[in-house]
Amino acid sequence: MQAINTGLFTSPGAVAYLKREPDMQVGQLAERIWTITDGVRRSIFLEGDTGIVAFDTFGTPGAARAYAGAMAKAVPGKAVNTIIYTHDHLDHAGFADDLAPGAEIIADEMCARVIRLRGASGQLVPTRTLSGEHHEMDVDGLRFTLLNPGPTHGTGNLSAWFPDAGLLFSSDTILPNARYGLMPDYHLCNFVRLMRGFLDFDWDVFVPGRFEVADRARFAKGCDFIEAVQEESQRAFAEFVPIWVLEAMQGYVGGKLAECFGDLDGFDEHIGLISLRIVHHYLMGGWGLEDTPEGGLVLADETA
Amino acid sequence: MNTDNDKAAQGQASPCEHCGIFTIGGDIPIQGSWRDITFTPVRDNIWSVSEGIYRSIFLRGREGVIAFDTLTTPGTARAYAAAVGRVYPDNPIHTIVYSHDHLDHTGYAADMAPDARIIAHDLCDKVVRARRSDGQLPATEVFSGERESFDIDGAYFELIYPGPTHGDGNIAVYLPQSRVLFMVDTVIPGVGYTFFPDWHLLPYVPVMKRLLSLDWDLFVPGHFWVTDRRGFIENLDYYDRMSDIAQQAVLDGLDPHDFAELTKYTNSNLKDEFGELFRFGEYCALNLSRYMQQFITGGWGIEGNWQADTTPF
Repeated sequence: MQAINTGLFTSPGAVAYLKREPDMQVGQLAERIWTITDGVRRSIFLEGDTGIVAFDTFGTPGAARAYAGAMAKAVPGKAVNTIIYTHDHLDHAGFADDLAPGAEIIADEMCARVIRLRGASGQLVPTRTLSGEHHEMDVDGLRFTLLNPGPTHGTGNLSAWFPDAGLLFSSDTILPNARYGLMPDYHLCNFVRLMRGFLDFDWDVFVPGRFEVADRARFAKGCDFIEAVQEESQRAFAEFVPIWVLEAMQGYVGGKLAECFGDLDGFDEHIGLISLRIVHHYLMGGWGLEDTPEGGLVLADETA
Repeated sequence: MNTDNDKAAQGQASPCEHCGIFTIGGDIPIQGSWRDITFTPVRDNIWSVSEGIYRSIFLRGREGVIAFDTLTTPGTARAYAAAVGRVYPDNPIHTIVYSHDHLDHTGYAADMAPDARIIAHDLCDKVVRARRSDGQLPATEVFSGERESFDIDGAYFELIYPGPTHGDGNIAVYLPQSRVLFMVDTVIPGVGYTFFPDWHLLPYVPVMKRLLSLDWDLFVPGHFWVTDRRGFIENLDYYDRMSDIAQQAVLDGLDPHDFAELTKYTNSNLKDEFGELFRFGEYCALNLSRYMQQFITGGWGIEGNWQADTTPF
């Protein structure tokens, strides 16, 4: 394989995939806040006094370079001095080495532990870690709040709240549609309760980690949707629906929720997968300490 | 093989006393429902029990019985206890060993033998205690590390934690005198279960291969039927192949959440190789989706990124 950061790929055929630079769309959300998307995943970046604060890196070396190029056009003459990882996943935070290898990298402490252990090619280890739930940040003249309410998705997931702009950015948690698929690495035990906690803050623009920018009402409906799937998945289990059969779960839960949530984009294609994932939470009891009422991380002590 | 279907005597309509982590109110019929249990001698003092899908083992001691796991619901836990009672009416279950933390295997000791001594790996017990699920009793005795020998009531067995595989603190039960290995929700006949729920895919295969350094020729899984070393090895080979195929599927631009396209992809590319495997049509596309996520997101949590120890036992 050529000298290129490869994440976890080992196939020589991955080079073209990893190098491809997608078209990026940039939009300004507030005086110093932009959002950027490759058509599926989404992030934000900020203009500081002397440089750029970029959230995440996108999911390939090519996408990271395209992200860097788009930021340079939007904020000419300023370099990316800071990267903030929302969480540990490679498709969001995997390629800082291609985005801005000399930047300070801020992340939650648990996110940093997973990244260190993973050792993926291109995913740089954070240089500054945060522990706890609430962090008032003052970075290069920019003031904002980073929030980790507890296990939601991935490890050490940080959301960013901009009170002056009335904006919340939360990656791969609530989506503006029903396109959750199998809900990879979601921690369901406290998910809706923790996400609803963001509604205690004052904001009206919601930037998710993928798909389009939304508002407070759509965020709240997203919480309602996941909660409704949790309830109907339990009923399916309780009433002897064969919960290991995709079509059976799709029929039962989809039928119960179509009236209230059938208007969500992707509902018909995804409700079976979502409910199949969620019903296993009740069958098995949740996955690891992250999925218990207290939260936590299995083997955390061994990686301290 | 015997079938325990004396439902009336065992309280078929008994209410659900323990509700796991259900949060919906009202009746939860599946929890209390009776399920027929089959019980089959394996070797020596080892018996296997199953309700058709789930499987476990129990051992006869001099005075009582050591039961592994509790099966899936309060109703099946009671049926499991009744099955043991039919085989050994004078030997009560005095010990339960948890294979791992999941409720569908170890959720209902309170319904099976509430006063039994309960043994688990400490990683399993941490999750059980934090979960506080109704009916899942915490362990009374934990062990840490990789290997612990037990001689309980004249029955000898070893519990082995090879590393992260599935769930938390998942242990293999090694019965060297009978050359039998029992391990739950790891090697299961056929393709993988649905979307590999709570499997730690990065360390999974190398960790499981460590168990091949032990002397056994019969493997009892946590689901379906008993197999041998060859079946065990072939099953792990499937995971290795699926990992390679998933990597290619990402490069081919397949969307891991588009089930219709996943199914087309598996039928076009994998049916010749795997089409004869049990449940290929049900789960191969879901297996592929989960493995694709491994390359897209990286492993999940610390367990999913654990660098496996491959030292033989």
